[in-house]
Amino acid sequence: MKTIVKKIVVAIALIIMPSMVFAQSPFEKFADQDDVTSVVVNKKMFEMMSKVKMDASDKQTQVYINLLKKLDNLKVYTTSSAKPASEMKSSVTAYLKANPLEELMRVNDNGKNVKIYVKSGATSSQIKELLMYIEGGSGKGNETVLMSLTGNFDLDEISALTEKMKLPGGESLKKASQK
Amino acid sequence: MVVLSLALTGCETKPSLQKYFVENSDNKEFLAVDISPSIINVDKVALSTEEKKALESFKKMNVLAFKTDGKNQQEFDVERSKVKEILKDPTYQELVKAGNGKDGAAIYFVGDTDHISEFVLYGCKSENGFAVARIIGDNMNPNDVMALFGLMKKGNIDMEQLKPLQQLMGSPK
Repeated sequence: MKTIVKKIVVAIALIIMPSMVFAQSPFEKFADQDDVTSVVVNKKMFEMMSKVKMDASDKQTQVYINLLKKLDNLKVYTTSSAKPASEMKSSVTAYLKANPLEELMRVNDNGKNVKIYVKSGATSSQIKELLMYIEGGSGKGNETVLMSLTGNFDLDEISALTEKMKLPGGESLKKASQK
Repeated sequence: MVVLSLALTGCETKPSLQKYFVENSDNKEFLAVDISPSIINVDKVALSTEEKKALESFKKMNVLAFKTDGKNQQEFDVERSKVKEILKDPTYQELVKAGNGKDGAAIYFVGDTDHISEFVLYGCKSENGFAVARIIGDNMNPNDVMALFGLMKKGNIDMEQLKPLQQLMGSPK
């Protein structure tokens, strides 16, 4: 009996597995680095969050729930020390070379350089990938931030996310989505 | 459907983490705590159907913690990488992960998003040690989880069951 159950479990795991195998991100290496704070949210988490009953009477919550269903992966890496910061810079440059993304906007927000790149989907407002890079300096509150968000979402919807989750560079993103 | 639910309730035969827990619960470097649903001390009559379902879907929670004491750094490294290795198994689907190199936390689940048989919480703090918690249930769904949290918040947590954990954390927050 137990072996049958085991087999079934393995079979199910095999079915589920492909959805779990994401293309290895070039930024993954920052996840286990000292002095780098990382947050990774996976598709399954977004999926679960979208299933939690919420009071969907107001429009903003509706937008939020709809958006959750369209997200795949969120990765945020933050650092305030020089070495990983320069590594981030070079991996962003390398990544953009290998995967041409469109520069959506570039702002100077309180002395910080914020750059947002996107990969469009079928229509120009459909986004498959959003990459945000904030070049910080040294010192507190001046972190270098690398954020990658993948899925198949609309740019206008992103502001719902920045409202609900406290994302770095939220203000810039908000501006970008209102363009 | 029968096959599916059979497979999902079969979670306790899952090899690795279950085995790891059994193997180490008597190890003196570890602290093992088993928590039953009775920790949520609620008047069952007063519960909504949703809350009742949530409570019924929750079977037990097992916690295994390794406490560093300055002398067991080597064991800490060994055990931590063992756990990390186990959690790499695709059975454990990662939901969220956060960390800064030295410390970190992650949440995994087993099953699919509407039929969750187990949640695994992992937390590590270099100075204190690391802990793995298995929240084992039967066909939990995201709403059940939220309802459970709600019930816990409503208070009446039976602190007696959590005493050993407090000892690990030093002092309660």
